[in-house]
Amino acid sequence: MLSFPEEIVLLLLDETKGEFISLPESVFAIVMSGAALMDLALHNRIDTDLEKMMIVDRTPLGDDILDDVLAGLGKKAAKLDITDALYDVALSAEEYRARALKRLIARGILREENGRVLWVFHTRRYPVIDNAEQQEVRARLRQVLLTDEIPDPRDVVLICLVDACALLGFVLSEDEIETVTPRVEQLRKMDLIGQAVTRAASETEAIIKFAATTM
Amino acid sequence: MEIKQERDGDVVIVRLSGRLDSGAASSAEEQLGAALAGEPPRMAIDMSGLDYISSAGLRVLLVLAKKVQQQKGKVALGGLVANVREVFSVSGFDSIFTIEPDAASAVAAVR
Repeated sequence: MLSFPEEIVLLLLDETKGEFISLPESVFAIVMSGAALMDLALHNRIDTDLEKMMIVDRTPLGDDILDDVLAGLGKKAAKLDITDALYDVALSAEEYRARALKRLIARGILREENGRVLWVFHTRRYPVIDNAEQQEVRARLRQVLLTDEIPDPRDVVLICLVDACALLGFVLSEDEIETVTPRVEQLRKMDLIGQAVTRAASETEAIIKFAATTM
Repeated sequence: MEIKQERDGDVVIVRLSGRLDSGAASSAEEQLGAALAGEPPRMAIDMSGLDYISSAGLRVLLVLAKKVQQQKGKVALGGLVANVREVFSVSGFDSIFTIEPDAASAVAAVR
């Protein structure tokens, strides 16, 4: 099973072109950070309530992204503000994307292609070799979103991440998205870190839009 | 965290007390899963003694609700104290579970 940072990198890749779907870097950073924190929560390394995030177990997991995040959190207080932790981890999001890409290549899910445009500009693409994971996530999320099935905790995290990246179109048609809006709102509330991710991603996008309209 | 279990006819009544957090989650998940008896299972959870629930605790209840749904059973919660009720409201878990004022109503709700 892939980690959430790996899942989100994979979901953000256009399967056919091997290029990343357009997403503001600051939003990506928050989503990647949320993916890592929610993974740590599902591994019982951190816990949260309505007020704070607690580090409950500092034992490494043998995952170079999650262990790095856990070690970073461990240098701070045992009780943290969820949003502060989210922004702290987001500072390393690009590094974590690079590590996740390496791992996906090593697992044979992606391959790296280097090229040049106009013989000058270096380009790099990551075509998907094995899309079984993407297909499985799509099918799973469709099942949870389009029925009244109770999700498992992993489904809830994936829905939070997909929604924060505005990737629901990857899973559902436009008509379906309209009909499932209340369901998405219900499910994304169910993870307290996920709630912080949704808030931070929305605020960041609002700031970007405001800056774009006032420039 | 303490978990006590009793039966009232075909309903399993589980009484939770203390804190349901990451420290208690694993044992609680195991005990609640084991308490799912009957075809289909009917479970009433008395939460009146539970004074704290974290995200890890919510996940335990989510996994339980999923199992009950898969087995076409019923589960209801009763007697939530104010701060636990608030966590359910903020996290939307009150839309997943039948929530009753007390344990007796929770038992009646799953009959």
